[in-house]
Amino acid sequence: MAKSNKMFADKAFELIKELERSSQTIPPFDDDGVRQVLEEIKAIFEENCAQAANYSTSGDRTLWPLLNFRHAALQRNKRCLLTYLYQRLLRIKALRWEFGPIIPEDIKTSLCEPEVNFFNTYSKSLASYMRSIGDGQGIDLTGDLRPPKSLYIEVRCIVDYGKFELEDGEVIYLKKNSQHYLPRAQVETLVRQGILQHIT
Amino acid sequence: MSESDIIEPLSDSEHNGEYEDQVEEEELITAQKVLEIVETAWQNELCAPEILQHQADMLELMLGQVAHMEENMKDLDKNDFRFIVHQMELERIRYVIASYLRCRLQKIETFTRHILNEEESRDVSEKRLSAEESKYAQEYADNVEQYFQHVALQYMPNMQRAEAEQRIVRPNLLSHVFIKANVDVPAVVVGVDDEEVDLTAGSQHIIPYQLVSDLIHKNQAQLI
Repeated sequence: MAKSNKMFADKAFELIKELERSSQTIPPFDDDGVRQVLEEIKAIFEENCAQAANYSTSGDRTLWPLLNFRHAALQRNKRCLLTYLYQRLLRIKALRWEFGPIIPEDIKTSLCEPEVNFFNTYSKSLASYMRSIGDGQGIDLTGDLRPPKSLYIEVRCIVDYGKFELEDGEVIYLKKNSQHYLPRAQVETLVRQGILQHIT
Repeated sequence: MSESDIIEPLSDSEHNGEYEDQVEEEELITAQKVLEIVETAWQNELCAPEILQHQADMLELMLGQVAHMEENMKDLDKNDFRFIVHQMELERIRYVIASYLRCRLQKIETFTRHILNEEESRDVSEKRLSAEESKYAQEYADNVEQYFQHVALQYMPNMQRAEAEQRIVRPNLLSHVFIKANVDVPAVVVGVDDEEVDLTAGSQHIIPYQLVSDLIHKNQAQLI
């Protein structure tokens, strides 16, 4: 069982550290790591079971501390693994607030299938909650993220976006490098998506 | 319709507070008052470690008012100074409402299981979550649980009930908060040794949240 100077739960802790260190929005799901941790958990558990069975037939208590130690390692493994998964979920949730109901293609490749399912369910239930507020009027909570300072903001267009219709029916052309003076509330989403840049 | 006709109800509701809105229980309440209640609720919610009583009724009134104002403003000249002021005010109100609801959602997502368990033991009149929020909380809890089951829990041997309990995240009710007393509150117990302090109206204190949570609920004090 003992390999070089590796300790129990090293791999699980590694998962968390990797996630913490990565500068990407979401690093790829570490399928292999997760599987290894699960295998370790299983291995420890089986070893413990075998020895516990031995203890209950013979009443030999010499292995008692070892059993306890293994149990602690088992718990730590579980905890680290769940932390890893949960931290990823938090980042996935942040995606919904930042990019809306569709995951950008380049990020999607980093997620595992259950995570995509989680995102879709989360997105759906958030959307139906937002629709139900205020007697069916609905509010988009992902807007109005910052306290409003002024009604209009100066924006520069970063990509060729094309036509954009304002609430009052006026249509403007968003061409690359053009600058506009527009109502903040209506262009906030475009700013967050990186199509427009807020300049001061 | 002349312009002053449109302006009148607007400015009344916003600034003089004379405009009165009919509430279900035949109770009269000004739009100004509603806004104050919503703002206080927002402030309390942002500062409190746990989720507070929902204000669905007040929010609904406020949203109705906002819609009403928007309707009135449609006919105004865009370059009118008053238009800009009103529009700005609307944006602020909208921000307060959105921020308030977001803050609650965040608490719901963090403490989902804990909140749901607590809600179950509460009477209908004392529920902290609105109907929509509890639906959302339930869906969220199921979603997370399903994900964990799918990816990890099902492969873990010998999962015990107690371990599911360990995974519940609870708010730290003993974290310190700033409060301001709205009215005189005599003999508030602070600390474990039954030490008592009289809060005078308008005074400010730093105190563990749990000791004053009932004052917040009774609106005798507010968080700042």
